[in-house]
Amino acid sequence: MADLRLALTQARYALVTSFRNPRTVVFQMAFPVILLILFNSIFTQGADETVRFSGGRITAAAYFTAGLAAYAIALSTFTNLAIGLTMQRETGQLKRLRGTPMPSWTFVAGQLMRSSVLVLIMVVALLAIGVIAFGVDLPAEHLVGLLVYVALGTATFAALGMAVTVVTTTVDSASTIGPFAVVMLSFISGVFISVDNLPNWLETVGKVFPLYHLADGLQTCLASGVGGTGLDASNVGVLAVWGLIGVSIAVRRFHWEPQAAPA
Amino acid sequence: MAAIEVQGLRKSYGATEVLRGIDFEVQANEVFGFLGPNGAGKTTTIEILEGYRERSSGEVSVLGADPGRPTRAWRERIGLVLQQCELNPLLTVAETLALFSSFYPSPRPVDETLDLVGLGDRRDSRVAALSGGQRRRLDVAVALVGDPQLLFLDEPTTGFDPSARRGAWNMIERLKELGKTIFLTTHYMDEAQQLSDRVAIIRDGEIVALGPPSELAAAGEAETVVSFRLPNGTPIAALRANVDAPIRTTGGLVSLRATNPQHTLYQLTSWAEREGIQLVGLQANRPGLEDVFLELTGDGHHG
Repeated sequence: MADLRLALTQARYALVTSFRNPRTVVFQMAFPVILLILFNSIFTQGADETVRFSGGRITAAAYFTAGLAAYAIALSTFTNLAIGLTMQRETGQLKRLRGTPMPSWTFVAGQLMRSSVLVLIMVVALLAIGVIAFGVDLPAEHLVGLLVYVALGTATFAALGMAVTVVTTTVDSASTIGPFAVVMLSFISGVFISVDNLPNWLETVGKVFPLYHLADGLQTCLASGVGGTGLDASNVGVLAVWGLIGVSIAVRRFHWEPQAAPA
Repeated sequence: MAAIEVQGLRKSYGATEVLRGIDFEVQANEVFGFLGPNGAGKTTTIEILEGYRERSSGEVSVLGADPGRPTRAWRERIGLVLQQCELNPLLTVAETLALFSSFYPSPRPVDETLDLVGLGDRRDSRVAALSGGQRRRLDVAVALVGDPQLLFLDEPTTGFDPSARRGAWNMIERLKELGKTIFLTTHYMDEAQQLSDRVAIIRDGEIVALGPPSELAAAGEAETVVSFRLPNGTPIAALRANVDAPIRTTGGLVSLRATNPQHTLYQLTSWAEREGIQLVGLQANRPGLEDVFLELTGDGHHG
């Protein structure tokens, strides 16, 4: 129990750090909100406008609200951890922590708690804007499914964020790969553009990656009368496989000491 | 019981042997200076003692435990000031210390620790706003906040201005008064001489000198340096004819490297008296730790 408090203390300071970091506040928090307002104002001509997705048809407003929730989850976990952990490793902060009696699992737990809190803030904010400003429905029968997708997406993208630090040996490479991967995938995963508008081969490429399945899962959960609980075996399965790949790489290859050759 | 015991410590990276069998002990409440040129094995040694690196062979005990298998209880008793390890720039000084103090079972109070390193008036400043010297003092505060018995200070004053270094020296002396054992590396020989009870000098993975700084200096072969200024127009040739020690001139300053200082001073001063020459700023300096260090680790010993 005392060690759980250690993890909570670290989570608290990690959150304080995130809110003081302009890159986190602007790029990872404000940006998805601005995109949601822009997309739902530009791409949806009226409440009747619908978009095709895996489960059938859904209003465009619900489609982009769910897609941008997936986008925000990936930024708060994958991008945030890739940049944050690489920066802390390359500046020697992780090495210093390793020299204290703090158990390393409490550090990882603290980082995951920080990302989870950011995810909760973002998902609640985006859904609230969708419901209040753009008339998006939150079907009660899909609430459990929605929670499962948010939790699974958070875990999967957090694991991948830790795993990618194995190849980002400098802060510059992490600051490039972290956002770039999410932005690029957003074009072919039904986040920035509906998959309706993609050529088949591009949608097939998108389906390989987890962002497509997180977006599609959340979109199903915002569509009334389709998909039962909203949970779909292929969406859940692909997310889980990517999550396990991330965990197995992170557990085996995560480094605490600077990786770039000393100057 | 000794705080640190090292016997026959060896470390190889591939075919390169970085440490070639070193031995030393550090007593409890001792300030032990560990000196050597870059690449001599200093950092490898300190990182083995700190529990960051595995050794290839040899016996090592730090506070009675093997640092090759660091345990939580052992880590609670040591404090580290590492080279090139930053702190989170977005937290304040007090937040940083509160975070690190949460890792220890009986930490020192945050404000008391900040006063000890002279950062009491910066407690609410962001780490990013501190000067280089203030950040290094915060590094020391982070190492102290767990109230450790043994402190590793790896180049704690690099980049300090002279007054900040003086302040750091006072702080290290206070830590010794608090009963801490301190393992110190530094590039500044005056610092090692001032602070250390004993020093070890490492070269090419071997310890080449070990003892109190004053004894090492006295035992060294380095010559006493006699220096002074000659009045304008005094020919160096006249000096050379009367003194048999090697002469070097830099600007107006003349220095003699005297293996027998009593004899050299006699030759010099009797010549000056005879000729009515005033030797301005005459002084004789016994070899210091720096001279011994350069003699033991200088260019002549490489290759």
